[in-house]
Amino acid sequence: MILAQNLLVLAIVLGAAWAARYAARERNWRESARELWRRRPVAIAVVAVYVVIGLLDTVAWVGGGTPEDPMAAYVPRTVIDRLLRPEARREASYSAPFADTAFYGGAPLKHPGSHWLGTDILGRDVVYRMVKGVRVALLVGGLTSLVAIPLALLFGVTAGYFGRRIDDAVFFTMTVLSSVPSLLLLIALIMVLGKGPVQVCIALGVTGWVHFCRIARGEALKLREMDYVAAARVLGVSDFRIITRHILPNMAHLVIITFALSFTGMVLTETTLSYLGIGLDGSWGQMIDQARNELSRTPIIWWNIAAAAIALFALVLAVNLIADGLRDVIDPRTRKERT
Amino acid sequence: MLRRLVQIAVLAAALAAAGCTNDPYPAADKGRKVLYSSFGEVPKTLDPAVSYTTSEHVITGNVYDTLLEYHYLERPFKLVPGLAEAVPEPEALPDGGQRYRFRIRRGVRFHEDPCFDRARPGQRTREVTAQDFAFQFARLADPAINSPVASSFVQLKGFQDFAKRLAELRRADAAFARLPAQEQYAKAGGIAGVATPTARDLEIVLSEPNAQILYWFAMAFTTPVPWEAVAYYDGREGRANFADQAVGTGPFRLAVYDKQLRYVLERNPGWYGLNPDAADAPGAVFPTAIDAADVAAKRIDPAYAGRRMPFLDRVNFTREREGIPRFNKFLQGYYDDGGIIKESFDAIMQGDRLSPAMAARGMRLDREVEPTIYYIGFNMNDPVLGTKGGEGSRKLRQAMSLAVSTETFLQLFLNGRGVPAQSPLPPGLFGYDARYRNPFRQPDMAKARALLAEAGYANGIDPATRAPLRLTFDIGNTSAQSLLETEFLVSAWRSLGLNVEIAATTYNQFQDKVRRGAYQIFRWGWVADYPDPENFLFLLECSNAQAKSNGPNTANFCNEGFDSRYKAMKDIPNSETRARLVKEMLAITETERPWIELFHVEDFTLSHAWLVNSKPMGLSYPAYKYRDVDPAMRERLIAQWNEPVRWPLALLIIGVIALVVPAVRTYYRERT
Amino acid sequence: MAAYLIRRLAYGAVTVLGVLLLLFVLFFAVTNPDDIARKAVGERARPEVYAQWKTNHGYDKPLFLNRAYGSGEARHYTDTLFFEHYRSMLTFDFGRSDADDTPIADRLLRGAGPSLSLTVPLFILNLAVAVGVGLFVAFFRETLLDRVVLVLCILTMSVATLLYIIAGQFLVGMLLKWFPISGYAGDSSVIWRFLALPILVGVVAGFGSDVRLYRTIFIEEMNRDYVRTARAKGAGDARVMVAHVLRNALIPIITNVVIAIPFLFTGSLLLESFFGIPGLGAMTVEAIQGNDFSTLRTMVYLGALLFILGQILTDVCYAVADPRVRLA
Repeated sequence: MILAQNLLVLAIVLGAAWAARYAARERNWRESARELWRRRPVAIAVVAVYVVIGLLDTVAWVGGGTPEDPMAAYVPRTVIDRLLRPEARREASYSAPFADTAFYGGAPLKHPGSHWLGTDILGRDVVYRMVKGVRVALLVGGLTSLVAIPLALLFGVTAGYFGRRIDDAVFFTMTVLSSVPSLLLLIALIMVLGKGPVQVCIALGVTGWVHFCRIARGEALKLREMDYVAAARVLGVSDFRIITRHILPNMAHLVIITFALSFTGMVLTETTLSYLGIGLDGSWGQMIDQARNELSRTPIIWWNIAAAAIALFALVLAVNLIADGLRDVIDPRTRKERT
Repeated sequence: MLRRLVQIAVLAAALAAAGCTNDPYPAADKGRKVLYSSFGEVPKTLDPAVSYTTSEHVITGNVYDTLLEYHYLERPFKLVPGLAEAVPEPEALPDGGQRYRFRIRRGVRFHEDPCFDRARPGQRTREVTAQDFAFQFARLADPAINSPVASSFVQLKGFQDFAKRLAELRRADAAFARLPAQEQYAKAGGIAGVATPTARDLEIVLSEPNAQILYWFAMAFTTPVPWEAVAYYDGREGRANFADQAVGTGPFRLAVYDKQLRYVLERNPGWYGLNPDAADAPGAVFPTAIDAADVAAKRIDPAYAGRRMPFLDRVNFTREREGIPRFNKFLQGYYDDGGIIKESFDAIMQGDRLSPAMAARGMRLDREVEPTIYYIGFNMNDPVLGTKGGEGSRKLRQAMSLAVSTETFLQLFLNGRGVPAQSPLPPGLFGYDARYRNPFRQPDMAKARALLAEAGYANGIDPATRAPLRLTFDIGNTSAQSLLETEFLVSAWRSLGLNVEIAATTYNQFQDKVRRGAYQIFRWGWVADYPDPENFLFLLECSNAQAKSNGPNTANFCNEGFDSRYKAMKDIPNSETRARLVKEMLAITETERPWIELFHVEDFTLSHAWLVNSKPMGLSYPAYKYRDVDPAMRERLIAQWNEPVRWPLALLIIGVIALVVPAVRTYYRERT
Repeated sequence: MAAYLIRRLAYGAVTVLGVLLLLFVLFFAVTNPDDIARKAVGERARPEVYAQWKTNHGYDKPLFLNRAYGSGEARHYTDTLFFEHYRSMLTFDFGRSDADDTPIADRLLRGAGPSLSLTVPLFILNLAVAVGVGLFVAFFRETLLDRVVLVLCILTMSVATLLYIIAGQFLVGMLLKWFPISGYAGDSSVIWRFLALPILVGVVAGFGSDVRLYRTIFIEEMNRDYVRTARAKGAGDARVMVAHVLRNALIPIITNVVIAIPFLFTGSLLLESFFGIPGLGAMTVEAIQGNDFSTLRTMVYLGALLFILGQILTDVCYAVADPRVRLA
């Protein structure tokens, strides 16, 4: 399990490196990337930080138990766990940001001043919980999409390219799945499959898959009719080669934009699922759901909900801004309009 | 341009502020004697044979009268006559059984209802007879009705025979199964132990003595039910189901029942308590023996002593799914009573009493420890934690019990509103000893570690795997709150070195695990049916084990010493022998630790100054016939409390203007 | 045209059958009717009660083919869960709720009113605000105003709906005390007090994505030649926007509107449940929390059905409004 996790991180890093090298060779991509960086430096930096945290929170190993956290010798701890040491810095209950004393009762804290965003009802450091939410959010938005996209591309492109029976079957499946309102489909899937990270990701993947597939199919249909594809076919180039060489590369920008949009959609949807009690453990949605009642406390406890809301907001905003910038950079229509 | 914008904004705000009010009720009800309350959980059924939750008893307890009632003011609880003329004394029968004779009051009539018209045209209501009680007993026994308390009446002579006969007749004869219920019961011969010598006499015969049976006559399960209503409300041809209908004899009738949204109880003009000859009926007159403490607390107004009830015209219940909006509306004055939410506890309370700000509002606080027990249970059939593990497992359970601090749990999650439990018995019950301290319920990590080492798990390490002992805490609730609470409980064991995992699943999945016996540690609670220790100790009796009989003993605790004493104490009246037996049973649970007893809930109820005569009644149903409101005072205070706070609006408007104005100005500059 | 309509309807019908198949797989094959029954009657119920409940709710039948046919026990080979599921859904005979035995049709009828009273005004207001602001911003495009609104859109889009509701209740309900924090009344004299706050929150929550959508539509329209021609002919700014741009953008607007209309009936899950409005959205949330599979199944089916109808309607509208659309 831990091994698989760590290998996954390695795979993602290697995959990203390969994609970057591949993109760097193409002039078009290189310029687009440069343009995007020029337009949205902060947003890209923010997303990069989130991704790094998410990866660091996935790399885990067993060992190095301390008196405060003897379990580490037997249960894997991630890099983030080891850096932030939540077990060692635990308090009895609520404390305000940077406080030296407990929020209720005013007893001195065990670790005064070290909780930048205070602690929650169980005395857990809020910064730690917020940071732990990063991985869950990336899992919800990113990993789900990473699994759904290749599948969607496979089905969408083959359907669009070959047409006929394959297209009929794929298109029918898509119509059926997409005619169920996505939130209801999600809920039904989770209710039926049961609660749990794998189930939630499967449900999100199924609903997201349809969206991708529809776009891929439409684009493949269009590209199939292009002159250069027809020419390649006349020259006797195999279908597989046409798809990998001519169709897929021309769909890349669409995939990226759709990915960004569905990413934010999924992360925001997860908060709704958390409210319904079927979200993921440790997500920001769950933090918000746990903390929303604390706003009614007197004196008010705001740091829990604020931390989760801001972390969520920053990620979604950054991705939204990048998606917006990407559209301007890649989409030729808007590019014309801008200049 | 700028000036105009500001003008428009100010005008709009002023208009909005003038027309807006947060009053949720129509103006027509102002000044009437209406009590406003709220409910969270939607009642599932109002059938008095089935309804078993507090949310349902709020209705059934006021719409249905019972033969006996609990005295409203006296504590410990005492039974007084309701529909019966007197509380019966048991008569011993030669065969070892017992008989109770009830004489029903004169002039008790059902609520006016169309169902009586169908039975006899033109009839709006009719007088209650002993047969209506017998009919309800037959319904309790009827397997098709599936009453949750049927097992409590098995000592009633012929109760189970009747159920069996009924089931057999139905199976054998399809035509019989289609007959109306009252005809089926008549053909099946009725229950032998329920006799109706005259229309006003009801005799109950038990096959063996049972000291607790009278309590059941103070619950709506044994209320008179008209067969006409059961026959009429069958859910066909646009008629409601009997489960959504309440035709009783009580002081209130159910006037509106839109169960997702609201329900209204309305004064019943035909109530027996209003009859001239009911002036001495304990159930119809406000008690005269008023405790000085209740008066001092302004809980009870002595001026009501001896007055005929009820005082209210209506009781209006509004659905509130979430605690916080409900509490805020209570603070705004739109609900007359309500519990304290934990978020506002520190603003409402100061130490043991109301904060000065709240006391100045005239608010009143009533506290009562409810006859409940919340506990963590171990599955005693589990090889690691259970009986099979012998001494080692016992010490493991003892160590785990020593690690859990109920005090902290109560402080964190319930603002200390509870009594740390020492044994399964809550305060106020026979056999409860306030001085008793369970040695394994006083948190002591050092002692816990020592016991853990003796159990063979030094520092939590399982010698078989050389890793921390892995245990699973199963919960059937995925809410954020329950997860937090479980996390707290588990963290204590984790610091002992035990690797306890939380398996939070949906209720369905959890039930499935319980059925398969695939659980180790669970959390559960129990609320008493009646104030007797037997009603708690049976949760640990072997024949009630989940694995054996699908019973409520989810811990599967089976101990011969416990069971033999349980049998001996079960049906005898309170005495020294009984006290000794209970004490011995508690000593067994103390060392055996099938449960880690957590706490008994203490209920905090707030009421506004205009609501009088509301006294908490833990066990019995909330009786609205005793309560009264002062609508004029309510209207005055509500107006005073609902002055809007306007500065955030001003801030918002300034923010919007600050955003829009420069944008518009730049636009004009850029254009020209 | 008629042929097109028939073909479109036929495809819609086949899609409905497909949705029902999906629901069957999810609710009967993946979940077990036994689990549902056990939850409903309680763990400790006697076996005959349990069996009775399953019979009452039609869960006692075999999955696909009734092999008992011929032995006198079954009505037909097709007396099974599979065919019963199709029959009941297609004839709108939804049966009883798994949680509290009330007829689902009753609850649907009772919930539709509150849902519509929330979603219809919310929808209209949302559309008016989004089209209005979208048009306004498109008109002022490439100015600071446009950029401010665009940034505002992205900002508001990035906030979870849950947070809007929490903030709205706190600000308007708790501090300003303009409206009740939550609740609902059948009484028409007070109903608007309860609806004002959820509608306000709904408009703010939907603002970002809608305004951005309509802005794009309008700008695309404004870049067309006829707009330039109209301007060149000296038509006033406002006239061009309303008479030309808005009119020609109607088709994409209608598409969005028609697709959204079915969702008016299914209500808004979050708003209804937070504000205590007893509509269909709140009913769905309760079904989720109460493991009420039959109600959930019905809601998913109805949602899909309405969506399919909406799409057919859109396609037909397209075909009628735009002769260029091939009736193929």
